Amino acid sequence: MIQQVTTTESDKAQDAPIAPPDHLVGKSCRRIDGKEKVTGTALYGADLFPNSAELFASVVRSQHAHANITAIDTTKALEVAGVLGVYTHADVGGTNIHGLIRRDHPALASKRVRYLGDAIAVVVAKTERAAKLGRDRVEVSYEPLPVIATMEQAIADGACKLYPEGNVMGDKRIRKGDVELALANSHVVVTDTFFTQTVDHAFLDIEAGTGHWDGQVLTLYVAGQWVHEERRLIALALGLPVEQIRIIQPVTGGAFGGREDISIQIYLGLAALKHQGKTIALRYTRSESMRARHKRHALKIESTFGAKADGTLTAARIVVHSDEGAYASTGIAVMRKAASHATGPYRVPNVEVDVYGVHTNNNPTGAMRGFGACQMAIAYEGMMDRIARALNMDREAFRRKNLIQSGDTVTTGQHVDPVSIGHCLSKAIAKFKERPYPGNDKLPDYMRRGWGMSAICFGLGYGDGFPDCSRARVEMNDDGTATVYTGGVEVGQGLLNTMMQIAGEDLGLPMEHMRIVAADTELTDESGSSSATRQTYFTGNAVRMAASELREQVLDIAGIKLKVHPHEITLQQGWAFETAKPDNRVSIQQICTEGLTRGYSLKATALFKPRTITEVPQTGQSPRAFITYLFGAHVSQVLVNMETGEVKVERHIAAHDVGKAVNPQSVEGQIVGGVAQGLGMALMEEVTYKDGRIMNPGLTDYIIPTIKDLPPVEAIIVEHDDPGGPFGAHGVGEPPLIGAVPAILSAIYDATGKAPCELPMNPERTWRLINDVRENDPLSKVF
Amino acid sequence: MPDPTPMEIPMTQVACTVNGEAFTRDVPVDSPLLEFLRDVLGLTGTKGACLEGECGSCTVLVDGETINSCLMLAAQANNRSITTIEGLASGAELDVIQDSFVATGAAQCGYCTPGLIMSARALLNDRPDISETELLTALEGNICRCTGYASIIEAVKRAHRESQSS
Ligand code: FES
Ligand code: FES
Repeated sequence: MIQQVTTTESDKAQDAPIAPPDHLVGKSCRRIDGKEKVTGTALYGADLFPNSAELFASVVRSQHAHANITAIDTTKALEVAGVLGVYTHADVGGTNIHGLIRRDHPALASKRVRYLGDAIAVVVAKTERAAKLGRDRVEVSYEPLPVIATMEQAIADGACKLYPEGNVMGDKRIRKGDVELALANSHVVVTDTFFTQTVDHAFLDIEAGTGHWDGQVLTLYVAGQWVHEERRLIALALGLPVEQIRIIQPVTGGAFGGREDISIQIYLGLAALKHQGKTIALRYTRSESMRARHKRHALKIESTFGAKADGTLTAARIVVHSDEGAYASTGIAVMRKAASHATGPYRVPNVEVDVYGVHTNNNPTGAMRGFGACQMAIAYEGMMDRIARALNMDREAFRRKNLIQSGDTVTTGQHVDPVSIGHCLSKAIAKFKERPYPGNDKLPDYMRRGWGMSAICFGLGYGDGFPDCSRARVEMNDDGTATVYTGGVEVGQGLLNTMMQIAGEDLGLPMEHMRIVAADTELTDESGSSSATRQTYFTGNAVRMAASELREQVLDIAGIKLKVHPHEITLQQGWAFETAKPDNRVSIQQICTEGLTRGYSLKATALFKPRTITEVPQTGQSPRAFITYLFGAHVSQVLVNMETGEVKVERHIAAHDVGKAVNPQSVEGQIVGGVAQGLGMALMEEVTYKDGRIMNPGLTDYIIPTIKDLPPVEAIIVEHDDPGGPFGAHGVGEPPLIGAVPAILSAIYDATGKAPCELPMNPERTWRLINDVRENDPLSKVF
Repeated sequence: MPDPTPMEIPMTQVACTVNGEAFTRDVPVDSPLLEFLRDVLGLTGTKGACLEGECGSCTVLVDGETINSCLMLAAQANNRSITTIEGLASGAELDVIQDSFVATGAAQCGYCTPGLIMSARALLNDRPDISETELLTALEGNICRCTGYASIIEAVKRAHRESQSS
């Protein structure tokens, strides 16, 4: 993806006054990709088809959630007019498997299918219609196996095993202090079990892209979240050297973790390799997208917390079962994140956590905004409300008593400094109290109002010893503009602006003089994935480091030209001038022209690779499990119809410490957007399965919030410089969603007097909660 | 289950005006207008995200009215006048709604944006004065997964203000 702004040279007139400094960091610069998006000229994956598609591919998927494949017959498919080829596992040149953490997912299944999204063959035809017709004519014979539809079935004695090792994919533990003793000595012990649901990313831009093999290079235009890693996975699966694959990210319509796993890349690559010189196009329908893609993990969280009479938390014992679906995906990272966030931003001296990942024949589960940390916040915040009530304490006062402060440790034993959670909570509550709370007085009998709060934390990045890093390059061009090169992908979050603004700030260039090239494996170096809220911090730091070095080069040349020491020079608005005598100046354009003529490189690269320390397997403890921590607090106010169970969010306040908002408008957009997804998760979104089959694979039945479901979200940007972040910034992507869900549940608890423990709280579940009717209760027959 | 795909589809002729330009093309009788605009005319600004009338990404104006182009057949567009996102800006100058969407940061991933802008265009074409409820109702059929809608509401209000004052 290449973005550029044309430079006007008129502002370079030698006698024009230099414009006042314009700090790009902290400014809501217009999005660099805004114009192409509002005019419809931005090219997303499927938009490439009219100009380039020569052949079309379609994917044959399993008819069974669990079965052995006994035969694949492609004869009838090949007879369809227009079908040029049908390819199975036997045609794949490499390992034919992918998987971000464990390589366990066959690109094209050969012997066994483990969920209905498993792919078996790829059909290539002259038209999309013929490709689909061919797909429907591929005959696959199966020997069905028992379908493991739930975690209970998976761990039952004698359950059919998805893998020879069994159905437990892995586990993760935290052991700290003596939980047994601490619970025995507690004044109150509160226990509850939470069930979070399977959630779909539902980004709007359905998987689509093109592939082309010219005999030397396989070029894929496909949206992912980490193009360099995807390239490695595709290379392994297809048996090509990495250097022979080029991935170029088209404009991308959202991701939210949903593009982390490999999607269409290997199918397109295989088809392209078989049809040299032709551009192959492949796109899913919404239902295929939902049936094929991984989901957010559904978790069962059994929580027991103890506290003293004065409200001091003493201990937590937490057992988590996580539905991993058919393949590992990024499940192991999600389990780690769940364990390390089990007690959130609270001081709990004695902790025991056991997380078990369990395979089922549901869709694989993996990355989605807030991965693991989001589900755990629902449980620990739910427990805070329950314990406060058990102790008859004010919810806020109880939280404040236990919130960590700078220098305290979190679940993993890591000391965190600075900690701003108390400040975030104060900000959110103060905002809430700016307007009088209307209460229940004027409401009809069947309506109840309530408000609630949440306080959450998020360990940024993958952490846990993973060698996470970002590279960046910044170059001056001979017209005086600068280009940032990053492998990071823009999925809508605003990465392009963030990186350009960081570099532009250091170089003293206005936004119009900044350019960026992103997410092209040929032109850019690796910048890790756009996930785990890591890009602003990681790639932002790499860009800052490269820009700072480049700044030194520019200052050196300016020093020669202006005949002053570089320390006495200011870079501002495309000029270098002597700070004390601004008339002694030279334009950056002149510096570039001259510098490049004289053989200066005028480019700099940087690597940002902060180390984290692997958690001790037996205890989950690490002095530095995560590179830094983010904090946020929400307040939500809801109105509940006690007769129908409908919940309306009336107000929602979200305060997030982002370190420094590089582009406040983008940051606010992330906060409000995260709250919207949180509201969807709290109240309406749920992928429902029947024997491994998704029953709502479309936006008709998978309900996501509309403009009328959202209250005006009040976003508060809190800024405490992160000492390790670029200009103090650390990031914002995931925490807003993590904070939103428990705050809404807390408000429902306040309104109804009943504590929600199942998600989503759609009208039916809310009604059941109000009327104490559990789903498997005989009374439920009233429906 | 894969969608059943019929083998042979009869063709029909469509003559319509798109963004002021007349087109006559043969299209399969079951082809939605969305497919005609994107795949036949190459106007890929109009997006498809659900293909079942739920998300509004495919919103275009047909004789001035908003419709979901994934639900309307291309054949039904015969003799009608269609405006797509490509028809809004005049040359380099953005429509006031387009400009407002950039100004308020209402286009994050941007996939919902063309549809939303078309819905907003229809609303502002119709009404000199709009209430909050009218605004929300006009945009209710357009789903956005990224923004939480606040910046979109702000954009439409800004565009409304600016077109009132000019
Ligand atoms: S694509 Fe037409 S309404 Fe969703
Ligand atoms: S901006 Fe991404 S769907 Fe609206």
